[in-house]
Amino acid sequence: MKENKVKVTFLSQDETILVEKGITLLEASIRAGVYVNSICGGDGICGKCKLIIKEGDVTARPTTLLKRDEIKEGYVLACQTEVTGDVVIEVPPESRAKGKILIDKDAQRFRALYAPMKGQVFFKYDPLIQKIYLEVSPPSLQDNVSDHVHLYRSIKRKKNIPNMQSGLKVIRSLPYILRNGDWKITVTLGVRGGTIEAIQVEEGNTTDQNFAVAVDVGTSTVVVHLVNLNTFETMDAEATYNSQMSYGDEVTRRIIYAELKGEEKLREAIVEDINNLITTLISRNNIRLNDVMAVVCAGNTAMIHFLLELDPSNLRKEPFIPVCTYPPPIRASEVGIKINPRGLLYSLPSIASWIGADVTAGILATGLYQADELTMLIDIGTNGEIVIGNKDWMVCCSASAGPAFEGSGVKNGMRAAEGAIEKFKISEDGKIQYTTIGEADPIGICGSGLVDIMAELFMAGIVDRSGKLNPDANERVRKVNGELEFILVPSSQTAIKDDIVITQADIESLIRAKAAIFAGINVLINILSIGFSDIKRIYLAGGFGNYLNKENAITLGLIPDIEREKVQFVGNTSILGAKMALLSKDALDIAYKISKNITYYDLITYADYMNEFMSAKFLPHTDVGKFPTIMKKLKRT
Amino acid sequence: MNIPDVKQSWPNPINEVTIGATKEEGGTRSTTITIGGTGTLPFLSFEGSSPHRPVIAMEVWDFAPADWPEELEKYFSDVWDDPGKWAKKCVDEFNADLICLRLQGCDPDGENKSSAEAAEAVKKVLEAVTVPLIIWGCGNKEKNNEILPVCSQTAAGERCLLGTITEDNYKTLVALCKADKHKLIAESPVDINIAKQVNILAADIGLAAEDIVIYPSTGSLGYGIEYVYSIMERGRIAGLSGDKMWAMPLLADIGKEVWKVKEAVATEEEVPGWGNHVQRGPLWEAITALVYLQSGSDIIIMRHPKAVGELKKYINSLINKN
Repeated sequence: MKENKVKVTFLSQDETILVEKGITLLEASIRAGVYVNSICGGDGICGKCKLIIKEGDVTARPTTLLKRDEIKEGYVLACQTEVTGDVVIEVPPESRAKGKILIDKDAQRFRALYAPMKGQVFFKYDPLIQKIYLEVSPPSLQDNVSDHVHLYRSIKRKKNIPNMQSGLKVIRSLPYILRNGDWKITVTLGVRGGTIEAIQVEEGNTTDQNFAVAVDVGTSTVVVHLVNLNTFETMDAEATYNSQMSYGDEVTRRIIYAELKGEEKLREAIVEDINNLITTLISRNNIRLNDVMAVVCAGNTAMIHFLLELDPSNLRKEPFIPVCTYPPPIRASEVGIKINPRGLLYSLPSIASWIGADVTAGILATGLYQADELTMLIDIGTNGEIVIGNKDWMVCCSASAGPAFEGSGVKNGMRAAEGAIEKFKISEDGKIQYTTIGEADPIGICGSGLVDIMAELFMAGIVDRSGKLNPDANERVRKVNGELEFILVPSSQTAIKDDIVITQADIESLIRAKAAIFAGINVLINILSIGFSDIKRIYLAGGFGNYLNKENAITLGLIPDIEREKVQFVGNTSILGAKMALLSKDALDIAYKISKNITYYDLITYADYMNEFMSAKFLPHTDVGKFPTIMKKLKRT
Repeated sequence: MNIPDVKQSWPNPINEVTIGATKEEGGTRSTTITIGGTGTLPFLSFEGSSPHRPVIAMEVWDFAPADWPEELEKYFSDVWDDPGKWAKKCVDEFNADLICLRLQGCDPDGENKSSAEAAEAVKKVLEAVTVPLIIWGCGNKEKNNEILPVCSQTAAGERCLLGTITEDNYKTLVALCKADKHKLIAESPVDINIAKQVNILAADIGLAAEDIVIYPSTGSLGYGIEYVYSIMERGRIAGLSGDKMWAMPLLADIGKEVWKVKEAVATEEEVPGWGNHVQRGPLWEAITALVYLQSGSDIIIMRHPKAVGELKKYINSLINKN
């Protein structure tokens, strides 16, 4: 056996593992815990999993996704390369996730969201997990009930709880804790549907140590906030890439992977991410793992399925049926999340297969469900979710936009991490200005950068209204392998030793993505027989990072042309909603109500969607009357 | 009880487009043709006025076509070695309102004729007839961008209708039309949105909306005609309702589509039971044309003299009846 094992060393990560001969480098990197970008999940079509072979033997299948000079330098595609002997590998910057730096950066970005948004609701402070300190009078011959009844009676004297439950472990521990602690104890109570569970009984007073985490299980980014349940403060935040990415960049691919190889790997990947983030947070804040008593998750329906290891396969097959949209609270340890072993895992309710708990959270966080005025929430991700409504009614739909605005399927696209171009401008004299996250040398472009680039190229006349690059408009437009592209940053200024460009195909993907979202918006507007002017507020949520240029989003035709002050970028409302539910049982109850009261329109059943989509595949739109201020702006230039 | 008046009135008449220029206007045509201007759906004269009747252009090529069936060959083979003679026959004998010169010979996959040869064909037609002219490229974008500038120059001032511009090839032609004072055909692939988008793209670089005729693609009877019909009807309703980028006259390219389908071409020996192809072919073309007439076409391009004759009769009957 041993002679079949070979060593794979990852230079910059200083990781070495033994693997069997014949596995791919992508598989080896997953096993070594070294993150390598992969969009197609190993099909050899995305070309993102580039590695450099420094020493050793591999067998690489031929690919057209590497340039000749890259091949000379030893570049291979990880998924198309099998290990045949000991090998030393370097992960080039463009293939790295930039994990650590992203975490700090994202934490900062998400911190900015703690500030409440306009119209935000405040709930009664009534967290899902509460600790109460009890000084119990010892039993006597006159008062000789069991320890168990004794405990419940003492709790009920302090709190009005009609239905209580507790597990065998807690009951077994009672005689010792009560007596060793001299009848002074702390009981941790957790909401479990209609009843309250005494999750844990401790000696003495530990009520000052009561923590929980809120998690946004995003398709590409996982965000965890650590919350002090006594002060209801968010103490710290961490983010990382969802390592399910190795199984496919978008949801459907991961579902297919789960169908072929089982759901377990996907659960393990996300649980490990969550555990790592929690471990980092508690050690940084000097908290014991045992004092973290709950996890509240929001995420799209498929992500919640993966987390709970529910069979996701029917989500993608007509008639698109989820296993469960209202998961009950369970023991977090049942799925492998490491907090207090008796701690609870809550998942916010989903609405339908393609409208998830992240949207429920968004509606909760923005207060849309209790707005007097007609309000729209647009959550832009791989699926663009659109909600229109107010305190009386809500409708929603989900438009399949593709991951272009998340940086996938775009040649130099990337997620919002250090080195991503996040702002871009072409000044009147034609000069290009950009800023990157962390002010690092640019590696690629993230969502907010892509919105800016599209709008700026359009306004500068470098792309026309159908999104075609004009080869005569600017000396930065060039033709490579028969395809036009625009050089955003020349190689001398980038960190990837290559030009950062936007290609004709990239522009077309972005136009398709924005058209899908706008068509969804328009279909909902048409179904309701209202006009854009009836919408009094638009909340724009999503993973663009913490910046989004509203004007450019409108110029592009991504969102309706309404008064700018009505548009508010609200960032990650998924985690905000999860935190609100964690801190108030009322909020969780309302989340359930929201998910039950909303009407879901399936765009597949709406015949005119395709026509709306085609109409929106133009800058800003074929129906120019829908974008009066942009048309005015164009006339001026 | 009185029957309520259900007449509909439309706020936005379709643009008028004049093709051809007389001597006074800087050209050499004896007549000009104006299309469009209608304020109602086709032939509903009780609802609004339609000041100009639909016109028929007959198709002339810059070389003798190899794939035209015998039923067409017998009318044109004596003249089709010379586009001038061919055009003259169409006007003199078959009463074509105008000529559509299709520069098919320039197709790089075919005869691959040069720009000079294309210009020569244009010149011949202009000299042989005095009706207005449509100049239609060869179907290859790159080649069109070579030959049409020369043709446009040759016909400068004649106010021809040039075609076609598409979503991804419009800049050269728009520039030509502005310089040489021609009108333009905007082509789209049976798509209500793209039809409009081509117009917006051309307008963005300075072409007046009044210089555009929409060609939304054409399908023969039996080959998706309903689909094209509904796109044209929806577009026309949009135009009449106020959408400036759909308020253009419409063009249907009938002959090219009809004379390649088996229903028009196959002989009775080949398909027994379909009847005599000598009657069937022109009838297929005439009926296809008639459908496009009803969908709002202002210019219809045709091939068979008998079909042209039938359609003219039909137009007369509809207009005189009202």
